[in-house]
Amino acid sequence: MSVADDLAYGAEKAAVAIAAPKAAVVGRVSLAVHVVLWAAVLAFCLVPLLLVLIISFGHKVEGAGWEWALTLENYKRFFVGANWPAESTSLYLGQLYWSMRYAVSAALLAIVTALPFTYLMTRQSRRAQAVWLVFLLATVSLSEVFSVMGWDIILSNNSGLPMLFAASGLTDWLKETGWFDVLRDWGLANPRNVKFKPSEVATVLTLSYLVWPYAVILLYPALSRLDPSLAEAARTMGAGPWTVARTVILPSVRLPLIGTTLLLFVFLLGAYVAITVFADPSQHTTAVSVYEHVRGSTLNAPFGAAQSVILLVTATAFLLLGQWLTRKAARPS
Amino acid sequence: MLRVLGTIFMSLAAVVVALPIVIVCSAALNGGRTMFFPPQDSTLARFGEFFISEPVWTRALTNSVIVAIGAATLSVLLAWPIAYRLWKTGSRASALLATLGSIPFAVPPIVFGVGLGFFWSFMGGLGTITAGIISHAVLFLALPLVTISIGLQAIDRAYLDAAATMGATETVTFRTIVLPQTLPYTISGFFFALVLSFNEFIVMFFVSASAFATVTLQIFNSLRNGYTPTMAVAAVAFIAVSIAVFSAVARWGDLPRLMGADQSRS
Amino acid sequence: MCALALKDIRKTYGDARAVDDVSINFPQGELTALLGPSGCGKTTLLRMIAGLEVPTAGTINLGGRDITRLPAHRRKFGMVFQSFALFPHLTVRENVGYALTIAGTPKAEVVARANKLLDLVQLKGFGDRQIGQLSGGQRQRVAIARALAQEPEVFLLDEPMSALDAKLREEMQVELRLLQQRLGITTIVVTHDQREAMTMADRIVVMAKGRVEQAGSPQEIYQWPATGFVAGFIGRANFMDGLAENGKIRVGDVALALPKPANFVNGASVQLACRPEAIRLDAAESVNRVQGTITFVRDLGPVRDLHLDTPIGKLVAEQGADQGRNHRLGDTVYLTLPPEALRIYPRVPAELQTGMDAK
Repeated sequence: MSVADDLAYGAEKAAVAIAAPKAAVVGRVSLAVHVVLWAAVLAFCLVPLLLVLIISFGHKVEGAGWEWALTLENYKRFFVGANWPAESTSLYLGQLYWSMRYAVSAALLAIVTALPFTYLMTRQSRRAQAVWLVFLLATVSLSEVFSVMGWDIILSNNSGLPMLFAASGLTDWLKETGWFDVLRDWGLANPRNVKFKPSEVATVLTLSYLVWPYAVILLYPALSRLDPSLAEAARTMGAGPWTVARTVILPSVRLPLIGTTLLLFVFLLGAYVAITVFADPSQHTTAVSVYEHVRGSTLNAPFGAAQSVILLVTATAFLLLGQWLTRKAARPS
Repeated sequence: MLRVLGTIFMSLAAVVVALPIVIVCSAALNGGRTMFFPPQDSTLARFGEFFISEPVWTRALTNSVIVAIGAATLSVLLAWPIAYRLWKTGSRASALLATLGSIPFAVPPIVFGVGLGFFWSFMGGLGTITAGIISHAVLFLALPLVTISIGLQAIDRAYLDAAATMGATETVTFRTIVLPQTLPYTISGFFFALVLSFNEFIVMFFVSASAFATVTLQIFNSLRNGYTPTMAVAAVAFIAVSIAVFSAVARWGDLPRLMGADQSRS
Repeated sequence: MCALALKDIRKTYGDARAVDDVSINFPQGELTALLGPSGCGKTTLLRMIAGLEVPTAGTINLGGRDITRLPAHRRKFGMVFQSFALFPHLTVRENVGYALTIAGTPKAEVVARANKLLDLVQLKGFGDRQIGQLSGGQRQRVAIARALAQEPEVFLLDEPMSALDAKLREEMQVELRLLQQRLGITTIVVTHDQREAMTMADRIVVMAKGRVEQAGSPQEIYQWPATGFVAGFIGRANFMDGLAENGKIRVGDVALALPKPANFVNGASVQLACRPEAIRLDAAESVNRVQGTITFVRDLGPVRDLHLDTPIGKLVAEQGADQGRNHRLGDTVYLTLPPEALRIYPRVPAELQTGMDAK
């Protein structure tokens, strides 16, 4: 080894010696970042939900708000009513039932229409797909208040569709053919004309509209990765388009389909504006009741918190059910 | 035949999705104080009210912009170290951190909103814009977290090796390779958070405690009194912002890939 | 003089030994090819030389100093990656100047050096292009220029030709070899292509299953493969299983003579190898002569392969196109296996032979 090499090696060693404390500083900074991150995430993501849980066991003080407690009275009120066993009410359970009923029907409606749409969209050019995605993202991110406003104008009784029905003579035609009575049975007509507000149909339609772009966006990855040669192979073996859809496409997107339906369902459980605008007050949901109790007319934060917990538990239960279903479906039968 | 059916179906879907938006937007042209469709006495006066003359709306718009930009910036700043740690180490702890950070986006907003309302009333920030910014940053943390993670996964590990063989330390590699290559994804995440924050009102309703209002919150609060054409102007402004932002993401970022399309096909 | 020396290098992942006690000396200024099937540990070895992986055991010595634990960014060995790993967000010139830029070299100097290197790899005027605008061959030149920019002590290339098409590959092999000889830089190339190794290398190290099978000049390795694996991996060979018998090797009913009596005990199971071009047809010699039937003729232009059924098994014989008469399918011929062309190896169990390229 030459002297020059030796010197170079010495310099190398010196560099290592200088680098060592620098590395220690970097390590300390990295540790600090780590601690701050964990603290922030725990404080802001987890603590609010824990507070909801804790306060759900709290006690309402008349006229003053609430106080810390460890009571099950809020849950008792939810399931059997505050004055049980003297009297019982299923008002709040009924609200939970409507929450689930709206969520299930709107999620299914959205997924059934979104699936063929997404499939057709993924068969288009990458450019066309990008245009569709921009359109869908813009509508999905548009505030619920705006879309509800739009549907409200379309469905409201003194403008919109009912006016159009009456003016075009469609109402009279419905009356002549007897369909009008059917619509009345469904709650979609008053004695004089068709009406959509309030009605379960309008509620489900609007809710379904709200999540429809979500359904497309959630199904998009699975469908765009679907190998087109699979369908082509089936075609060469004599399968018609419907057979291809039934035997090739549907089975291969079965898992994302279940997952998407569940996510839509969970999302819809929390819907608020559409319900207050389109649903009959007797058919309001738990989410509406949470709002009423926490910030609305009947201030009772602990009971609102308890309902939030029940909503969250319902959502989690359905997600777990979905996971179980997915695992079952993934297992070869 | 089937192709024609398909085209009809897709057009129909597009019309149904666009219909309420188009109707709301055209209602913005109403001359009177009530919403009519089709609009009566068409005028652009409502735009002036929303953007310039009505203090309720201009203040709300300012609040919306401040909250959206603040929240999007904060969520990107918070998401970066979490996503980077997860990508670099792949450890269980960093995966857990990323999962925890995504929880607020996954629970029903009304539940998280109630929780944040309690949280801020204890912390003493209830009704402040700062609380609004932090709340939205946390709520939408999942978005930059996902886009940045997608961007990091797209980096070929060979780039990092190549940089190392040319004398780059981890810090230098981060600055010269990782950061520039994930920039489009970071920007996408920022804009996703921005647009969603702009439109969100349920969580904001609980956090603001009626001390301030954003545009969507203002509309939400006045829902009981019926719609006014000025609200429709807000809808026009918001849909314009959304389309502009997502078009920009599609133009400069790879939108299909961000949304999970297969990279290999085009 | 020995520039780089590996001693007892081992790398284990869990229970698997990716590299198993490898010792190699890389002479100063020479081009050494690490050759082997995929999964033989050659890339892992190269990454340990670059400092991208830390060996589980053993030492790496550069010019007399131990660099085993020195991280990659302090070794600064230039490396060309299989995918080239050119940074897509930088221009060609910025890629080539990367090492200098991050080392704090003044901008003007970086530009001048990068331009000079681009001249060297015949890419004058490509400096401002984006990486996406380059062809595969151009990308490779940029990758080479980039790795050389820092004037590395050792130049490493990982499967540098695998992303190129066949014709370009041969041109680039020659070009890279000429460049390496001009710069006189110690170079290590990892490849699974024996033609590539033979074209470029001063020395070839054949690896299999994490171990060195043989190291030597290309001709040495081709003519005197040390193991049956090397004989099969470098070029083509006819393999025959036989038993040692009185200094000869019995294959089926035929006893084949060797140049000198074999050093095996009677009855030992051995493997014989013979290059297809060494087999002679219709030769005058009577030593090691067997009869065979032509089952298939493969005309490749300059040469012709004859597939033969013989009492010692199925053999392939390579003949010059103008050599002898035109052999036809079904013809019966006499073939000779010259004793000096026979290589003899102890019998390797079959599963070891076929398991070689399993990852």
